[in-house]
Order: sequence, then C-alpha cells, then structure tokens
Amino acid sequence: MRRVPWALIVFLAALFVPAAGSRYYTFLANDVIIWALFATSLNLLVGYTGLVSFGHAAYFGIGAYTTGILMKKVGVSFLLAFPTAGIVAALFALVFGFFCVRLTRIYFAMLTLAFAQIVWAICFKWNEVTGGEQGMPEIPYPDFAWVDRVAAFLPFLGGYRTAEHFYFVTLLLVAACLVLLRRIVGSPFGRMLATIRENPERAEFIGVNVRRYELAAFVLAGGFAGLAGGLFGIFNRGVFPDFAYWTKSSEVLIMTLLGGMGAFFGPALGAAVLIWLNQQIVSYTEYWPLVLGTILVVLLFVFPGGIAGAAMALRHRLRRRAARA
Amino acid sequence: MIRVLTMLLAALLTLPLAAEAQKPIKVGMPIPLSGPPALFGEPASKGAQMYVDEINAKGGVLGRKIELVIRDSKADANEAVRVARELILKENVDFLVGTLTSAEGPAVSVVAKENKIVFIAPIPKTDQLTAADKLHPYVFRVAANTTMEGRSAAEIVAKWPVTKIATIAFDYAYGQDVTKSFVDYIKKLKPSVEIVDQQWPKLGEQDYNPFINAQMAKKPEAVVSSIWGGFFVTFSKQAKALGYFDAIKYNFIGLGEAGTPETTKSMGADYPVGIWGNSYDAFYWDESSPAHREYTARISKYLKDEYPSSWAIQGYIGMQFLVEAIKKANSADSEKVSKALLGLSVDTPVGKLTIREKDHQANRGQLYGKTVKEAKYPFAIMKPVTYVDPTKFMD
Amino acid sequence: MPDPSFVFAQSISGLTAAMFLFLIASGLSLIFGVLRVLNFAHGTFYMLGAYSAYQIVRWLGTGPVSFWIAALGAALAVALLGGIVERFLFQRLYGKEELYQLLFTYALVLILGDVAKIIWGTQQKSISRPPGLTSAVHVLGATIPYYNLFIILLGPAIALGFWFALQRTRAGRFIRAAALDRETLGALGVNVSALYTGVFVLASFLGGLGGALITPMRAIVPGMDTEVIVEAFVVVVIGGLGSFWGTFLGALIYGQVLSFGILFFPRFSIFSIFALMAMVLIIRPWGLLGRPLK
Repeated sequence: MRRVPWALIVFLAALFVPAAGSRYYTFLANDVIIWALFATSLNLLVGYTGLVSFGHAAYFGIGAYTTGILMKKVGVSFLLAFPTAGIVAALFALVFGFFCVRLTRIYFAMLTLAFAQIVWAICFKWNEVTGGEQGMPEIPYPDFAWVDRVAAFLPFLGGYRTAEHFYFVTLLLVAACLVLLRRIVGSPFGRMLATIRENPERAEFIGVNVRRYELAAFVLAGGFAGLAGGLFGIFNRGVFPDFAYWTKSSEVLIMTLLGGMGAFFGPALGAAVLIWLNQQIVSYTEYWPLVLGTILVVLLFVFPGGIAGAAMALRHRLRRRAARA
Repeated sequence: MIRVLTMLLAALLTLPLAAEAQKPIKVGMPIPLSGPPALFGEPASKGAQMYVDEINAKGGVLGRKIELVIRDSKADANEAVRVARELILKENVDFLVGTLTSAEGPAVSVVAKENKIVFIAPIPKTDQLTAADKLHPYVFRVAANTTMEGRSAAEIVAKWPVTKIATIAFDYAYGQDVTKSFVDYIKKLKPSVEIVDQQWPKLGEQDYNPFINAQMAKKPEAVVSSIWGGFFVTFSKQAKALGYFDAIKYNFIGLGEAGTPETTKSMGADYPVGIWGNSYDAFYWDESSPAHREYTARISKYLKDEYPSSWAIQGYIGMQFLVEAIKKANSADSEKVSKALLGLSVDTPVGKLTIREKDHQANRGQLYGKTVKEAKYPFAIMKPVTYVDPTKFMD
Repeated sequence: MPDPSFVFAQSISGLTAAMFLFLIASGLSLIFGVLRVLNFAHGTFYMLGAYSAYQIVRWLGTGPVSFWIAALGAALAVALLGGIVERFLFQRLYGKEELYQLLFTYALVLILGDVAKIIWGTQQKSISRPPGLTSAVHVLGATIPYYNLFIILLGPAIALGFWFALQRTRAGRFIRAAALDRETLGALGVNVSALYTGVFVLASFLGGLGGALITPMRAIVPGMDTEVIVEAFVVVVIGGLGSFWGTFLGALIYGQVLSFGILFFPRFSIFSIFALMAMVLIIRPWGLLGRPLK
C-alpha cells in the first residue's frame, strides 16, 4: 500500500475552504484547526510521555489572555503577541511543571488540576487586568492592511474578508507548529519520551533523567497550547475565563482520546470529528453532553485506540488477510 | 401576442420578488434558558415569541413573516458569543435581539458590530454596553441601565430614616456599575450617608453565608442589593435563616428585580416580605393603562398562567422596537433599520418609550415598591407599586 | 479586633459548609482508597440526590416527616444507581488503564447530567427547611439556624459511625484490607468484586445524602455537579486521598478558609483554596493525614 501523503492533501484542501464554502464552514474549519493544535500539544504529554494532565487548559488560557492583553491593552502587533503567548505559556508550564513532574499518576493529575484552577481563579477575579467575569471582548484582528497592497500583484489573495485572512494565518501557523511537533516526536528526544511512557522505572535504570525529560515535554506541550490559545482568543473575538476552567481540559482530553492517542494526527482528527459532530447534533437536540458521554463510553469499551487506532487495526487486519491470500 | 409576452414578463419579474417576500425575516435570540438566570430568560423569550406570533398572524412585516431563532446562551459570555456567531453565520439571521447578563451583552455587541447586524438588548443593564467608547451604530438597549437603576434606588433610599448603608452585589459589570451609581448619587442626595460595608460575591455564588455574616457584623441600617434571578432566591433564603432581614428591619431594596412575581411565587413562604424591590412589569399594577391591562390579559393567556411573568414584557418590547424600525425603514437591511431606530418612539404596554440618539438608550423605567402579603394572592406583591420615570436620571 | 459574635457566626458558617463537603468527599475518598479511582461522577450523584429529594418532597407534600423520608429515599435511590453502574459498567474497566477509568467517570457526568435535565428541566428548584428545624437559636450574639446546627452535629456523628464500622465490623476490616492489599485479600477467599460494589454503593449513598440534605439551603440547579466535584477534590487532596479522618480535617480547613477568606482576601478567596491544594500537593502530596501510595 503506497504511503498516501494525507497530511499534505488535507492541508491543500483546507486552503480552499474559504473559496469553496460559506462563511460558516470557514468558521468551523478555523475552530477545528486551532483545537487540532491544542489537542496535539496535549498528546505530547498523554500519548507520547504517558502523563495524564487535567489542567492543560491553563496554558491555553494563559496564551489567550497574553495575546488579548498585549494586542488590546498594550497595542502590540500580532507578529509579536503570538510568539509571546507561546513563550509566556511555556514559562508558566516550566514553573508548574517543575512541581508536577515530581509526582506520579493521580497526584500528578491533581496538581495539574490545582494549578489550572489557580490560573482560572486569577483570570476570573483579577478584574483590572483580565476583565474578570466579563472577560475581554473585542480582541483586534491582526493588521491585514498589507494584504490589499500585495493583492495588487497577486490577485488570488484579494477579495477575502478579515475573518478569512485570519483563517489563512491560522492554517499556516498551525501547520508550521504541527510540522515542528512532528519533528520533535520523531527525534531521539521523542523516542526517549516513548521509552519513559512504556516503563519509567526501566528508563531510570538505564540512566535517563526521567524528570528532566518529562519537564521538557510539559514545557513544550504548554507552549504549543499557549500558541493555540493565542489564536483562539482572536478567533473567538474575545477572551473569557472559562478558557482555563477544568471542563475545557476534559474537552481537549476527550478529543485526543477520540482521535487516537497512538497516532500523531489522531488528536487533530478527534478535534475535527468532535467539532463537526457537536454542531450537527446541536441543531437537533440540546442534549449534546448526553451524546458525547455515550460516544465516550463506546470509545472506552470498544475502541480505546480512538478512530485512528481503529483505522490502523483495520488496515493491519486487511494487510494480514492480503498477505495470507 | 404582445399582451401575452407582457403578462409573461410581468409574471417572471414578480416571481423572484414573491420568493423574496416569502423568505422570513430571521431574528436570532441568544438568551439563558438554563440555570438560575433562566428564571428571567425563559419568560423573556416567551414574550418575544408572543409578539412574533401576533405580528405573523397579521401578515408579518413588509409582507414577510418573522422567524425567531432562540438559543440557550447559558448566561455565559463565551457561550453567548459562540451562539451569536453561529446564528449569524449558520442561520443567517438578519437581526439579534437578546442576551441577559451584563457580561453577555457587551460581548455579543462586539459580534454585532463586526457583522454589521442590529442588536437590541432587552435586559443587560451595564452602562458599558452603550458607553461612549463601546457604542457603535448597531447596538440598542430597551432595558434600564445601571445609572437609571442606581439613581432610582438612591432616590427611594434617601427617604428612609437611615444613614449607615451597606451594599451587596455580584462582582461583575452589572453589580459594580449599579452599586457605584447608587453610591455616587445617594451621597449627593444625602451627604450624611455612610457606606459601612460592601460585599462582592461572585456571579453564580451558591453559599452566601460568609458574606451575610460579614455584612451583619458591620451593623448596617439598610442594604442595597443587586443579587438577581434565581440567585436572589438562594441568597434571601440563606439570609432570612441568619436573621439578616430582621437585623436591618427589612430596610432592604433588592435591585435586579427582586420584587417580580416570578421571584415571590417561586419562594412562597420563604420570601422576606417587607423588603423593597423593583420589576419591569407587574400584572397587578393598579394604575396601569388600558393598553397594559390588555397586554396582561394576552400574556396571561399565552403563558397559561393567571399570574403571568414580569419578564415577558422585555422580550416583547425588544421585538416591538425592531419591528417598528423595520416598518419605518421599509427594509430589513440592518443599515437602514439601525438609522430608523435612532429617536424611534414606540407605544409599548408600559407607555411610550423612545430610544434616544445620544446613546441608543430607551427611557425604560421600572416599577418600585415595598412588598406586602396580600390575601388575594398566594405570594407577596409590591404595594403600592410606582413606575419611576428615569428620564431625569439620564444624563 | 473583629467582633467575637461575628467570628463565631462565621466559623459556624464554615463548619456547616465543611460538614456538607465532608459527607460528599468521604464517599469520594472511600472510592479512591479502595478502588483507586477518582470518581468524577461523585458530584453527579450528589446532584441526583438533591433532585430526587426534591421529587419525593413534591410527591409527599409538606408533612412533618416528608423531608426526612425524601432525604433517606434519595440517598437510597442514588446508592442503587451507584451499585448498578459499578456492577454492570465499571467492573469491566478494572484491568484497564487509569485514564480510561477516569474518563468513564467523566462520561457518567455528561450522561447523568443530561438525564437530570431531561427529567427535571433546567430551571432552578428549591425546597424549604423541614418543619421543626425552621427557626434559629441565638448564641453569643449570633443567629444560628437550627438546620445548620443539625448538619454540624450530623457530620461528626456520621464520621464516628463510619470510623466505628471500619474499625470494629468484619466488613469494615475487609474494606481497610482491600485498601492496603487487594490481591492478598482475594487470595484469602474474600469476594473482592462484591466488596467493591458494596463500597461504591456506600459512597454513592453518602454523596446522595449530602445532596439531599443541602437542598433546604441551596438551589438545585444544573451545574451543581461540576462545581461540587472540584471542591470535593480539594478536600480529599488536602486531607489525604484515602484517609477518612483526613477528609474530615480537609473539609474543616476548607470551610474555614472560605469563610474567613472573604475577610482577608475579599476577591481572592477562591484562589486561596486552590493555592492551598497546590501547596499540599507540592510539600506533602499524600495529604495531611494520608499515606504515600504504593
């Protein structure tokens, strides 16, 4: 079976969404792409390193608030605010992670939750800086004035609205981040994370400083989540405290599981399926949590590898059958 | 031959127009339908729906029916923004009428501004919605704002024989703004007033005991609260148990519509009868006009309730203004309708209201009164209840 | 110098809140101690207990004992639900990864939360205090409602009853043994899976009872499940996951910090709770009275 470059195909198809679809589909696609980055960043921790975090939304929220505060209150440009979101989130991940990786299993999860709730509480109550309960509505879009000037030379760039400009920006930035993440998990560092996930004690025995690797994974995951948050704050036209609330952490965890923690693009797939499913179901019934919960139960009992896992298992079985024939 | 062709041409020309005429005018309504805020949000949506049904029964507006698309915003700004954007992008609504909390209102206002869609807010009160730096051509409000409410309350409380006043409000835009406007105004009316304590529970608090105790410790003579909706039910139950109302001799005014029939009905015997409250409407309003009595009869029938909700009217009035503006502009285009709304006066069931050009704010006053137990009704009512005209408070 | 009657009143508020949390968190701690699972759905059982109590009171009317019947009935109904869930669903996940068990409990939160919405709607509900406990007593200048006093006395009563059961009865000894070493217990011929179901039923009973008893004081609303579960987590973490008296202590601390927190950090009392949780996890992860997990 030839290796089909799925990722490239999806990326190219995504480029044509604004041209082909309605504003609503661009909106959905934008949502999916940002969550895909968020979920993939979490998978670095959960799928690749075996660390179950219940507080990943904290870094998403930190990234969103950083971008929001910088762009809205300080007037910084997007080019500067976006990477800063990632860096600030990574710094927080460094501080929080330092304490978290010293713990294991349930205590690790509880501490990630505690830190996330602390971040939420600060965002929720620090009215002067974060806007408190109201959040910060109206985060400015990046400055797209230059597009019209460039469109004079490259006509296919013209004729798009601001939201669509931002969609392209999101697509390109997230694609770049995913390429980077792919490199990371494929590198010796990434393979070491897998070793740690399999058996942390054995890794210690062979001389690996497990904590340092885990902390590095934590910081990277936090940083990329922060970048996703920065994009989301602008996309959502406002930054609100529940970006950091623990239920957001569980949403992204479910996406990761749904898509499949064992595959690199599993979480991205999970994000797409979940968001699409959500907006389909919501037009028929308000009981989306019931549907989601049922899907989750089915996943856990029947398809623990998620969609990607099931697909790979199926492919494996087909190959075996072909080989035997 | 020419006649046939002409008739054919006429038919062809009218066909797309007829199709246009049949397409309904879609109005999106993001409003809380779950949780404690639903006590207010749900009847408001029904009031809007009743008006839409009435208009559609008369043939709609500009020959088109109105379709109200109601969605639960869960009283959460983030959710309200999401719902509003979906309404615009997916449902292609032409207008937005809705939101309830003062966190939702400003957030959705941004969405309306960017999409150039007229947004009429029938309930959020924070001044920030129509403040000079946030105002834009597409946002309008038919609710009272925090300046009007705070000052109306100050006028009432200034007449009480008290000088030591405490406040309790939710720590967000509405609570902060209404408390501030009350405090600033009462200090002007009665300089001897001293604010002895201020408590700021978070919006959505379920355990008010620590705040109640802390406030009672400062021994205020009167309290101005803006705890609203289902939260007021919880708060006053806990407060009554702790002897809070007795300690201040019921010198308590519950802004945020603590005097509504919904609230008193849902609390029954637990309601702290004797406090002051306000409300947008009251079915038992004695001095009401024939138009109001007629409206009350209709809403009572629509809601199948002999004691109808006081919140339906805000949804009703919101839709009234929208439809009147569409008629005046003779178009369902937001640009034209937004211009038509400026200075528009509408005869609502509570009298003539006008949206002023300065800040797109209607002079919507509220009913204020002290609650008493009346034998006629199984719950407390405000008596005597007075409509406080806010025009003098609007600067 | 704060007024002594105020300090007294505030600490009573803190104690009342603490005892409710203890009821709920003790079930959570029990499940964790024996089954080694952090049950997100525990908050949902609390909420279902509240709704069930409301429903039973609606059916029985406002007689002198209807509230008590409702509270007991609600707790039993929730316990039954817990047993069914454990026996038919949860048991199949025991061999699997912790993450799956955790996510299963979260799936329950989603499903049961919506079931509650379908049955009882989304409007908030409330119940009055039971007749006999409606008034208050005046102590040290503060007004203490009788119902609060009842809760404050009930909490330690249940704690003591529990402790006695754990120490003296055979079932209690099995539970303690299962918390320490389940394999050996199984090898000794004890029906471990029945024990697990029993523990789950008992914990659900406590959670449902907590929800039922809180109804005269708070509103019954959707969302009360996700709010309380985080509070319960904080309590068991501070006290010690799996430690019974630790949960009691954790609840006490939580109640007082929240009560007096509004005095010292009026806007940041929520923050202080989570900061406390984080500090305990950093300095002494197994909690104040807990033991390190193997």
